[in-house]
Amino acid sequence: MGVVDKVDLPQPVKFILNWGRRYSLWVMNFGLACCAIELIAASTSRHDFIRLGVIPVAHGPRQADLLVVAGTLTDKMAPALKRVYEQMPEPKYCISFGSCSNCGGPFWDSYSVTKGVDQIVPVDMYVPGCPPRPEALLEGILLLQARIGKESLKDYYAKRDADPIVVGGPLGPVDLSNR
Amino acid sequence: MKAAELSQHLKEATGAIERDEVLNEQLSVWTTSEKWVEVATHLRDCGKCMFDYFTFLSAVDFEDEGFEIVLHVYSIRRQHHINVKLTAPRENPSVPTLSGVWRGANWHERETWEMFGINFEGHPHLVKLYLTEAFEGNPLRKDFLLMTREAKEWPGEQEPKEHAG
Repeated sequence: MGVVDKVDLPQPVKFILNWGRRYSLWVMNFGLACCAIELIAASTSRHDFIRLGVIPVAHGPRQADLLVVAGTLTDKMAPALKRVYEQMPEPKYCISFGSCSNCGGPFWDSYSVTKGVDQIVPVDMYVPGCPPRPEALLEGILLLQARIGKESLKDYYAKRDADPIVVGGPLGPVDLSNR
Repeated sequence: MKAAELSQHLKEATGAIERDEVLNEQLSVWTTSEKWVEVATHLRDCGKCMFDYFTFLSAVDFEDEGFEIVLHVYSIRRQHHINVKLTAPRENPSVPTLSGVWRGANWHERETWEMFGINFEGHPHLVKLYLTEAFEGNPLRKDFLLMTREAKEWPGEQEPKEHAG
């Protein structure tokens, strides 16, 4: 981002920059289970999160600003989620949608389910419910937009540099030999 | 073919049916590990049976009595079903593979292998299908410990009747 992440911008410039960012979130739809249906419903005409400036279905993680993890994340899928998150350009945000992605939900004692996607990627907003209604996602998006509106990109990058995502961190390197 | 007719036919044709059972007009037959592939091949090739659609293969853990392997096949042309079962011992359970009879059996056997630890002799590619490479144990065995449950008991009622009283 050049100078933007090094110095605190004057308030009017920051306001306009954040105003542009908060109303053009391109969503990476990481739908894993029934919650994905609610996520899709939130994007279609009845609930219509496009009116909030959220664009559904990015063509790939490299175009996306917002990752919505909707559904049950299994240990086998976790490396793929981490990879998608790492491919997204900064600044990026993550919403954990539904009980399964928040904490494992009804699969709290399962042998194969990751109990919370926050073990894999940093999460900005948790939307509870099983599954949550589309309105719940809309509220989560509004809260996230309010946070982006107040954000200083200098602080954002400072926080990221203090707590970097390590490629091949807790999960180890992605093994591509048998694919 | 009706269930009783089919059962009678299999008993005469293969001679490998130990017992049978009809429940809700669906036939279940029990056979042995030695005759497993032979019975399956007969079910596929015989003009009266014509079981051309492999539905599923799985197992049931009966703890001390061993594992029951369940095969369900369907005939699209004859429109009848059958369950073929066999009991494998608790220690080192091993069954011949059916992946040479129906190709669909391949992945089902891989799943049964990783979930129950049942070996399928002659399987062409017996590696993990759903579990991660590092996973240890066979999670669908009843003696498999769920560590979350070990740490904290299920807080709700165990049986529906507890709620009624």
